[in-house]
Amino acid sequence: MIALALIIVALPLIPALAAALTPQARTLGLISAAAGTGALAVAITLAIDLSGRHRVHALSGFIYLDPLSGFFLATIALVVALSSFGSAAYLRAEEERGELSPLQVRLYFIFFALFASMMLGSFETGNLGLLWVLIEASTLASCVLVGLEAKAVSLEAAWKYIIISSFGVTMALVGTLFLYYAAGNLTGSPTDHLTWSFLFAHAGALHHQSLRLAFLLVLIGYGTKVGLAPMHTWLPDAHSEAPSPASAMLSAALLNTGMYAIIRFQALTKPALGSGYASHALLIFGFASVLVGALFIVLRGNFKRMFAYSSIEQMGIIAIALGFGGTLGFYGALLQILTHAIAKAVLFLTSGDIVLRYRTRLIDEVRGVLTITPLTGAVLLLAALAVGGSPPFGLFLSEFTIVRAGLQRSSIVLVAALLLLIAIVFIALVGAASDMALGASPDRPTGGPAYAERSSRVLAATPLLAGLAVLLVLGVWIPTGLNTLIMHSIHAISG
Amino acid sequence: MLITAAIEHLSAASTEGVLLTMAAVVMLLCAFACLGSKLFDRYVTYYGLQSIVLSFAAGVVALHEHEAGLWVLAGLTLLVKGIGIPYGTRHFLIERFALKRDVALSTGLSSSLILGAFLTAFAFLAIRAGTVPDALVSQATVPISTAIILLGALSMVVRRHTIAQLIGWLIIENGVFLGAITIVATFPFIIEAGVFLDLVAAVLIMIAFVSGLARQLAEASAPQLRQLSER
Repeated sequence: MIALALIIVALPLIPALAAALTPQARTLGLISAAAGTGALAVAITLAIDLSGRHRVHALSGFIYLDPLSGFFLATIALVVALSSFGSAAYLRAEEERGELSPLQVRLYFIFFALFASMMLGSFETGNLGLLWVLIEASTLASCVLVGLEAKAVSLEAAWKYIIISSFGVTMALVGTLFLYYAAGNLTGSPTDHLTWSFLFAHAGALHHQSLRLAFLLVLIGYGTKVGLAPMHTWLPDAHSEAPSPASAMLSAALLNTGMYAIIRFQALTKPALGSGYASHALLIFGFASVLVGALFIVLRGNFKRMFAYSSIEQMGIIAIALGFGGTLGFYGALLQILTHAIAKAVLFLTSGDIVLRYRTRLIDEVRGVLTITPLTGAVLLLAALAVGGSPPFGLFLSEFTIVRAGLQRSSIVLVAALLLLIAIVFIALVGAASDMALGASPDRPTGGPAYAERSSRVLAATPLLAGLAVLLVLGVWIPTGLNTLIMHSIHAISG
Repeated sequence: MLITAAIEHLSAASTEGVLLTMAAVVMLLCAFACLGSKLFDRYVTYYGLQSIVLSFAAGVVALHEHEAGLWVLAGLTLLVKGIGIPYGTRHFLIERFALKRDVALSTGLSSSLILGAFLTAFAFLAIRAGTVPDALVSQATVPISTAIILLGALSMVVRRHTIAQLIGWLIIENGVFLGAITIVATFPFIIEAGVFLDLVAAVLIMIAFVSGLARQLAEASAPQLRQLSER
């Protein structure tokens, strides 16, 4: 099983090695898509294996896998696979237009590979210090992708991203140090005091005052990565300026990596501080994020920014679900993480097609996508409906579960406020998507064909259709294996 | 009690305790000096000086703990933070783009110094209240490292130039490191090394971004970074 875990981290690195040999986007894209698919297959095998067995340790906790790791590995590997196909098509189109130099193509594939590998690796470690190192490293790799186009605006977005998230992640490091300090009176070696499973087993004996401080610092620190308001300011810029397949990775994978760290720390606080402490903090940040997301999504400017604000809102919903807690709350949160990841990856990959075709990111300049490129237009509409939480897609089921958790464990006022904000976001998002897809098409085609070659078209369409299909299935039926995995994940973090 | 390793017991009156406290105070002064300066070259000088003092502090802890990992860390701090980063910033950014005076200040120097003094007082009041046991060296160094973190954050807020923000973040990192070696000296070396590696990678990427921006905007200053905003 350890071997499988190592393969998952190693596979995405193959395109990086290939990029050292050739700068051709066509070859690199195909290798990247193959590596992503391979990693996904291994991750699903591992997740199935983990849902039966409970935990696996090696190297004194530096490698640690439990069902929660399995769940996140499978989710993120799916996003990586979808985005690899997207990258293959997008980069080839950009290369053909001469928008990217060979060096930029190489850099893209190298840092995309590092980004994916570091993120997947962070789910496989039980050492909270190493978790920090890997999350920071994945942030750095993704910064390069944001600044790749090297225009003033993309460098500006990359600068804002690197400086805000480095500051945030430094706070998470201070939080990790305080947690280590809080474990000072426990027996065991220094390495044990940073090992999640050891800390979880002795969580009741952690020093309360330091643990309180540690959790808040970690929530602010990793919350910056998750994009929780008010630490979200880097997110819309980075998402709108990165190449679209990289935006898909940021929104659907990187944000969830931060959330994973928060879930691990939340589990540590419960035995010593009770569930209330972490819950209240998560509810406050969660509602702030949903509110910010809803307020800014109404502004109809740049559609990639709009999707980014939708991510802030979705991460807020997940934080609220974690705040509600209980089996139902955690179930809703994990299901939402999976369904949002797929839906947002599809939405950002579609936005990549639109950017290539229209050469603009403004909602008002995009009309008639459905007539010009029927497939992209249809996927845009359906993915916007899915992200908005409409049935029959998976997000409807997960949001419904979260609302039930709220009714069961919290007040009806909070649930009503949440539903109101979700409704506002739904109207704004679906409204904008339907204007873009249905409006009268412009007289002259603005940017020329999105994907000239047939093979590019297949590469671009595969992740869109595959993602939508999975979302549809999850909306009507949760496979037994997934259900077991989620239930065992909840068991792993609630003892 | 929260005690496992010796450095956490170290009394403030012992020789090592006095040395560590002094080093921490000098580091705090460097952070203030940086906050009170307007020249890019000075920012880098004060940061380099602060890092050299930090490596001295790490050496004192290493001597006390007899730990090889800490010696390596002290050496790395001296080489990378004390010499490498200041040299790199000077060579690749300040001299190359002939940057002299930082004009992108949102707050005047004297008001930012006064704000800094308030933040330092706040750090002492907040941390003294029972988080750290009495009469130990960490009771002096933890509030100081908190103050350094806050001063670094303040200079990131009042300075708009990307180089100033970079140095501000590095000062925060130094504050975190000072707190870490005096309060949790037993922190596993392999993790510290990983943190260090991330820091170096971050600085390299930041230098690349700043020089890209400087080439495009003539002055890579955050007020010019206003193209991305809500329409």
